[in-house]
Order: sequence, then structure tokens, then C-alpha cells
Amino acid sequence: MSCELLQKERTGVINPIFTCQPAGAQYASIGIRECIGIVHGGQGCVMFVRLLISQHLKESFEIASSSLHEDAAVFGACHRVEEGVDVLLMRYPDVKVIPIISTCSTEIIGDDIDGVVRKLNEELLPTKYPGREVHLIPIHTPSFVGSMVNGYDVAVRDFVKYFATKGEPNGKLNLITGWVNPGDVSALKHLLAEMEVDATVLFEIESFDSPTMPDGNHVSHGDTTIEDLQGTANAIGTLALNRYEGAKAAKYLEEKFAVPAVIGPTPVGIRNTDAFLARVKEMTGKPIPRSLVIERGIAIDALTDLVHMHLADKRVAIYANPDLAIALTEFCLDLEMKPLVVLLGDDNPFYEDDPRIKRLRENVDFPMEIITNADFWELEDRIKNRGLELDLILGHSKGRFISIDYNIPMVRVGFPTYDRAGIFRHPVVGYAGAIYLAEQMANAIFTDMEHKKNKEWILNVW
Amino acid sequence: MEQVMNQRMEQLLDHIMKKCLWQFHSRAWDRERQNREIIGWAGRVLLGECDATPPDPLDRCHWVDGVALVRAWRERFPWINTLAVDEIRALMESLHARLDFLTRTGSLNAELTDPHY
Amino acid sequence: MPYHEFEVSRCIPERKKHAVVKGPGETLADALPAGYLNTIPGSISERGCAYCGAKHVIGTPMKDVIHISHGPTGCTYDTWQTKRYISDNDNFQLKYTFATDMKEKHIVFGAEKILKQNMLEAFKAFPDIKRMTVYQTCASALIGDDIEAVAQEVMEELPGVDVFVCNSPGFRGPSQSGGHHTICIAWFENKVGTVEPEITSDYVINYVGEYNIQGDQEVMQDYFNTMGIQILSTFTGNGSYDGLRAMHKAHLNVLECARSSEYLCNELRVKYGIPRLDIDGFGFEPLGNSLRKIGLFFGIEDRAEKIIDEETARWKPELDWYKHRLQGKKVCLWPGGSKLWHWANVIHEEMGVDVVSVYTKFGHQGDMEKGIARVEEGALAIDDPNELEGLEAMYNLKPDIIFTGKRPGEVAKKIRVPYLNAHAYHNGPYKGFEGWVRFARDIYNGIYSPIHELAKIDISRDAISTEGGFKTQRMISDVNLPDEVKNDPSMRQYTGAYDSLARLRGKTYPVFERTGDKQVAVEMATAE
Repeated sequence: MSCELLQKERTGVINPIFTCQPAGAQYASIGIRECIGIVHGGQGCVMFVRLLISQHLKESFEIASSSLHEDAAVFGACHRVEEGVDVLLMRYPDVKVIPIISTCSTEIIGDDIDGVVRKLNEELLPTKYPGREVHLIPIHTPSFVGSMVNGYDVAVRDFVKYFATKGEPNGKLNLITGWVNPGDVSALKHLLAEMEVDATVLFEIESFDSPTMPDGNHVSHGDTTIEDLQGTANAIGTLALNRYEGAKAAKYLEEKFAVPAVIGPTPVGIRNTDAFLARVKEMTGKPIPRSLVIERGIAIDALTDLVHMHLADKRVAIYANPDLAIALTEFCLDLEMKPLVVLLGDDNPFYEDDPRIKRLRENVDFPMEIITNADFWELEDRIKNRGLELDLILGHSKGRFISIDYNIPMVRVGFPTYDRAGIFRHPVVGYAGAIYLAEQMANAIFTDMEHKKNKEWILNVW
Repeated sequence: MEQVMNQRMEQLLDHIMKKCLWQFHSRAWDRERQNREIIGWAGRVLLGECDATPPDPLDRCHWVDGVALVRAWRERFPWINTLAVDEIRALMESLHARLDFLTRTGSLNAELTDPHY
Repeated sequence: MPYHEFEVSRCIPERKKHAVVKGPGETLADALPAGYLNTIPGSISERGCAYCGAKHVIGTPMKDVIHISHGPTGCTYDTWQTKRYISDNDNFQLKYTFATDMKEKHIVFGAEKILKQNMLEAFKAFPDIKRMTVYQTCASALIGDDIEAVAQEVMEELPGVDVFVCNSPGFRGPSQSGGHHTICIAWFENKVGTVEPEITSDYVINYVGEYNIQGDQEVMQDYFNTMGIQILSTFTGNGSYDGLRAMHKAHLNVLECARSSEYLCNELRVKYGIPRLDIDGFGFEPLGNSLRKIGLFFGIEDRAEKIIDEETARWKPELDWYKHRLQGKKVCLWPGGSKLWHWANVIHEEMGVDVVSVYTKFGHQGDMEKGIARVEEGALAIDDPNELEGLEAMYNLKPDIIFTGKRPGEVAKKIRVPYLNAHAYHNGPYKGFEGWVRFARDIYNGIYSPIHELAKIDISRDAISTEGGFKTQRMISDVNLPDEVKNDPSMRQYTGAYDSLARLRGKTYPVFERTGDKQVAVEMATAE
């Protein structure tokens, strides 16, 4: 009766939880202003990722393709990157940053994108675009390594590595959020503002929740600037909230520029938000203000209404990007719930040594399974064939049919959440996120009680 | 007279272009056959020269499109019911030639001559 | 000048041959956009890849099949749950997708072993399913795995199992269309003729190029069943694997999306002498004529007429209601391939809208010929459009609505142009008589949404009305309508159900006695 760390035993994947590395790099790239990435691979590697992102955020973002065709398989396709960069620069006069994101095909072919970048920097840029600020950044994200999670991690590091430049200390905190939603960035910035901390946020994606304007000419884009990225070398420290999405960049800044790196916590739930504020306080010397004590109090108050009467002992399955999945698990435990299955959708070897997972294994006193390299079948098979009973599923939209077919209420969280309206707008981090998540979970359970006529009358008085 | 005939041919052609798909099969040899057969059947139907369903399935499929054309033309272009046999023949001939030009011999579609489907 | 040069594409002159304005008196022999050419890198084209064309568009709608992609998981994940091809098999094909999860070591040492293991695992997880398709991806193509050989091994080890292999890696061809081609030819060469079907009617068709988007296939199937026609197979929406192996026994191939699957009909005609009849399932007149032609082919035209009469009487008053309100509205018809010609003329004739532009993401020149032939003068035709060209076209043409994909729809939203999903539909099905009214209803709801009026108001600058807290669509759409139209009792708004398929599923059909050439309806099976 305890927490086990297991690995999927099957070779293959039945219904994948994550997509591949280039998708993560693309999601990172759209967080930068005046940046359009070129994905070096087949057109599907871009078209579908753009669709995925637009399904999630209900916005369109510009990402280009080198449009690999048949001849590339034989002769290589570096020339298509060269042409792609030129076409992009000609037609998008504001573009300054072009990451060249590799894929499985171009890594197998062995296209030397670093060499292409050197060549472009020596030939095309000085001759055709003299005086124009252009940054070409090779990012290696072969699809057969890791997952979209690594892809995001690698891309953040590569952007930071490319731009970070030693200068005068800027007194700012680098906050690397990891793969989050616009609502999360707003919530994090709010917490920092309350503490009067000046931070460089990687990435400024609040703007992904963008307006339709009366003049009708808005294009959605991220708001992290080149100056922001350059300045990361001069910060007082880096706080990377996610171990697997952004920590590489934090460590790079520590090793190269002696900017102290703090990894975690992912501030989901009261306890992790407390720890987040403690870290910020530690790093900046700024006190935690009374306003946050009140905000926290409101969250405690809201949660108290729910926990022991409604949420206690509810059996949950959780899947999401790994840091989010683990933090959600921790939060559920604080809410007296029982996460029985936690699915981590890739084969990252570091999960074994993740201190949070270690702590779960040491302290959880009911049968919890944390499954790595997991697919959705790991969950469905347990429900369908092995008697797993659940009261709730926490995860993204790709798992929706498990909820639908087995009649289990589900709260959408993470990426992507295209089958519910506006999820990206709401934070899951901070005290606001704790309230939002707990109330979403409670309401999902309440609705389910009513549909199933399962003690629905209990809500007559509450 | 020639101008009238030409206008009439253009009306029939416009109807084919807007309402039909058979003239745009993907290869030149198919278009040649489709145009020849279907306009051929349409002409024979207009002239009352065929009263039985063709037994061969490929013929019948062309005949079906020919019959459909004639029905639509008779409804949309009542003048067609007033034409003499020679006029119908001449009209069909010029229609066939024009259609062949637009969809085949004068077509800018570079795939028409691909030897494979 | 028939060829159209976009301001934003002046710097890439080869784009000029990809766009044409249909000028007065000009014909297809004067100008035709180039098509199916390699995409210009960095242009931000909307095209997908040949893998998705094969696996996602054509393979996956098959409803009783385990669909495995041999490669890293991304290809599988990305093409999963992004389309609305449903089935009457509990949507198995939408719910389950399989990937071999190729990793770095497999790239180096080969991945045939894990492919085999994967196939065995998948059959074990779903013991009731005995059919499988395996799709090559860029990665497995480049390392040269022999998927055919593995498939053979598995078929030998698991009696009763049949596996189809499709070698269509993402880089094969300029767009998804390359994949359509590859899978059609592969299916024809490897699977057609390997099952002998039970023939239950004297009238037997394959319904080809129909993907059951939101139930289109089921609507058409209802008509065919009502006519006593046996649908041997549908390629591939709501289609079954074994049905599609028996395509050679049909009397007629009824072809809908020629873009994706005319190859198959052409090959079936050459090898088996099965005629190809191109039809339009969209629009009252084209659909009616299509049913008539099929009826005429089989000598059962009366059965088609009966359907047409009943359906027209039921739905025409509703179509007309919308037609009066959509008159002269400007539409950009910007789908992927075939809908540009399926819809171009009939939405003009039957809904009164003006098609000011057509485009195709992956169509060939043949699609442009059909599309340009069917639009009115002045329309702008664009092949393989890119992001900036689409924006420029919208700024210049000022459409009232565009029909395109989900993501380009988000681009349009930002410049306050409403969009309808041309690939997956908003609230389809759009085929069939009722479906066509649903389409008109969706267009109407799109154009006359009060939100679009509100979107144009700048509260910092414009006069703000303080009169009235709402507007209905009709307060906007009926402003300039004459009273006799407004109050015409013979027309009405759509009255069908949210799920128009519900009444079709489980329906029973008349049984026609088979007496050779002459068929007699002997009884109506008891309705449910």
C-alpha cells in the first residue's frame, strides 16, 4: 500500500499523451516578439502544431516550414533553410529572430543547420540585409528523442544561450515559467508585483489571450523581447518553476554567468505557492506583503469549504506535462484526495531521481501508481480491464474519450485543452490557481452527481 | 446566323462548365473520351436516335450524363427544341470542338499528359 | 492581366503564376494557376504533408481498423482528434491511434522489431479487431525499414488478421495530396480483389471520396439504401476494411471527392471496367441530379425522384428563407481541395452568395479548372495560398464570410471576418437536402451574428448607442428585406434537430425483390 514508480511495459503507444520535440520548440518560439521560427522538416510538422496551438488558444501564430520534399531525402535540404530564411526576411520586415528547428527527418538526413546558420550569417545577411538585426538560432529537436517537454526545455535554453550577454547587473529576477498558459503568466506576474519584484518573464505570453480590435489588424504574438533575453545574464537569480521545462536555461545561466539558479517549485496549490513566494523572498530580499496573506486567506477559505466534505478520498487520475502532473498530485493530496494513477508521457530517465517523486514514494500510504513513458492505454486498460475506479480525471483534452466512455468527470488542465472554452485564460498557479482548480474539481463532481443521481440531493443544503 | 449558333453553343458550354464534372477527368485521353462519348450521346438523345438503355456499363454511364445534359438543356434553353436535325448536328459538333479545346487541346493543365493516374 | 500578383509576394515572383483573376471573356485556356508544385520554404503555406494526406485524411476514416504509424509519436499525436470523421462503429477510428514510438536507438539499429511487437500488442489490446493499417513516416522511410516484410510475418503468425501497408512519408510530394495518391494506388494494388463480397442487390456501387465528415456519408447512404442500392464500400468515411477489399465487384463507382481518390476510380475502370460517375452531394439541384443519374444508370429513376420530391418539399422552404437573406453576400471559398468546385456554383445559385475568391491548399490544376469554370467573373483563384496573401485578399475583397480551416479562421477573426469550417464544418452534416439547409443556416448565423457588429465599434471614438440591450440576427438580416419576403409564410428557418443523424441510425429500409433487371418494391419493412 504505497506509491510505486512504474514504466509502461508495452513497446508501442496507444493514444499518446505528448507529441514530439519540435512542437515544444515551436510553442517556446511564439513567446518571443518579432520571431518567426522555421521548422526544418515536412510541412506536417508545422501545420499540425500550428493547428494544435490554435485549437488550444483559439488564436493563430506564425511559424514557417522549410517544406521538405522528396529530393531532400536524397540530396539533403539545407538549401531550403537558406531559401526559407530569405523568403521570411523579405516578407516580414519586422522579424528579427528566426530559430531553425530541426525534426526527425532532417536530423536523420544529417542536415547541418548550424553550418547553414554560419553560411547565412556570412553571406546572405551582410549582402542582402546589411544593417538589419537578424538572429538565426539552430535548435536541435529530433522527434525521436524525448518529447514536446524536452523540446520546450531545449528551445528555452538555446534562446537564452544565444542571447544572454554579460552587462551591468539589472537587479531583476529571471522567471522561467515552463510550459504554461496566459492565465498562469498573469497570476505569476501578479504575485511578483505584490512583492514589488521586478522580473524578466520567459516567456511573456499573456498576450496569447489577445483582443479582436476595432481596427481589425491584430496579429497574436508573444512579448518577450531580445533585450529581455539578453538581460537574463545580468539578473540577481533565475527561478525556473519547472524542472523539465526551463531548468536547462537556468543552469546554463548559472554555469556561464554565475546567475544563481533555483529550480522549482511548480507553484500549483497553496503549499507550492507558499514555497514559490519563499524562494522569491530569499532571492530578492523582499518581504511577503500582507496583501498576499489576505489573498492566501481567501484561497484557504475557499478550499476549506470543499476539502473534507466534498473532495476528501476522491480517487483521481492525473496526466499532464510532468511538472504540472506532479504538482497537481501534490495539491490533490493536500486536498485529501487520492491520486491513484499519475501518467508521465515520456521516458525521461530523471523521473526516478525527482525529489518530489521520491517524497511521494516515501510518504503516500495508499496504492498510487506513477507510470512513466505512459500512454492513455495505461489508464484506460486499468479502468476497462483491471477494475480501476475513479471519481475524477485531471488532464488535457486528448484524453477526453476516457472520461466520456467510462463516465468519469474530468477537469481540463494543461495543454491542449481545446474541448472546453477558455481554459487557457485561467491560472492553475498561485493562490488564484488553487481556488480555480479546487472549485473546478468540485463543480465537475457536483455535476456528475446530478447526472448520475448519486446523492445529488446532498447539495440542497451546503 | 453563325453568331446565333455560336451564342447558343456558348450557352450549352456554360451550362456544362458550371454544372458538370465529367469533362474534367484528370488525363487527356480520359477527357477526349468523356467529351466524345457524352456529347455524342447528348446529340443522339436530342435527335431521338436512342431509345434503349445501353447494355454496356461504360456506355451506359456516358449515356446517363448525355441524357442529364439534354434534360437540363431542354428546360433551360427552350430554343433547343426548335432546332432542325442539321442544326443540332452542327451545334453538337461545334460544342464538342470548343469543349475539347478548353479542356484538352488548349488546356493549361500540365498534368493531362502524365502517363500514370 | 489574368495572373494576379500579390503585393506581399512581389519579392517571390514565382508566386505570380499561382493566382488568377477570372476576367471577362477569359477562359481556362487563357490562364490557369500553377498547382501541385513544391512549396516555397518560409512562405508560411497552409499545406500539410503526404503522411497526413494518406493516414489522416484517407486511411483513418476506416472504422474497423487499428491504424498504426511507424515513427516517433508526434505524427500520430498531431493527426489525432483534429478531424470530424465519425462512424457508426462507436467512433473507434477517432478514439484510438497507435504509434511505434521510434527512438534514437531504433534510428541507428532499425525499428522493424519494435514495429512487429507493436502490431502484436495492438491486436492483443483490441482482440475484436482483425484489421490493421501501418503508415510509414519520414523517420521510418529514411532508415529503410521493410514494413511489408513485418506485416507478412504478423499475418502469418496471427491467422485471420489482415494488414495494409502505406508507404507515404511526409516528404513524399508537395502536399498532403501526394499521400492521397500513394494510399489510393497502394490500396488498389494490394487490397482490392482480395475479398469476395456478398451481393444483396442488383444495384451495387462503391461510394468513393467520401469521408463522413459530421455524417455526410450516412446521409447519402440513407438515400442509396432507400433506393435499394447496395453500397459495397465507402472509400473511406464510415467504411469497413473488408468492404474496401471488395470494391472490384461494384457495378458503378460513384465519385465525390475526385481530388483525393479519382486515382482509384480510374484504376478500377481500367482493370475491372467499372464506370466512374462524378457526383455532387452538396446542393439541392446537383444532389438531385446526382441521384437521378444513379437511378437512370440502374433503371430505377423513379426511386430517386421520390426522394427528391419528398426532400425538396420538406427542406426547400427553409433553404429559400436563408437564400433571401444571403443574397449578394461576399464569400471567400477557401477549402483544402474539392469543396472549391463542389460549392462554387451551387452556393451562388441556391444561396445567392457571391464567391469572390476560391483557393486550394493542396489541389491540382484540375481542381482549379473545375473551380474557375464554376465561379463568376471577377473571382480570384489562388493556389497554395500563404498567410500574407490570405490577409491581403481579405483586406482587398472584404468578404462577409470565409470558408476555410480552423487555424486560418482564427486569422480571419482578428480582422473581424467571420469564418465557417470548410473542412470539418460548423454544425454539419452539409451533404443531403437537410445538410444543405444546415450549411445555409451556419452561413447566416456566421454573417449576421450581432458580435460582428459589436466588433467593429471603437468605444473610444465612435458614437455608442444606448438604445436597446440586444439585437437579434433578424434585426440585422431583415433590415432591407421587402415586407412580402419578411412575412412570406411559405418560407421558414431551419427546423431540424441538433443531431440530424439520430433519425437515420437504426432506420429500416424497403426491401426490393431481386428479379433481374426489373425491380419491384414488395414491401416496406416495418419502421421502428
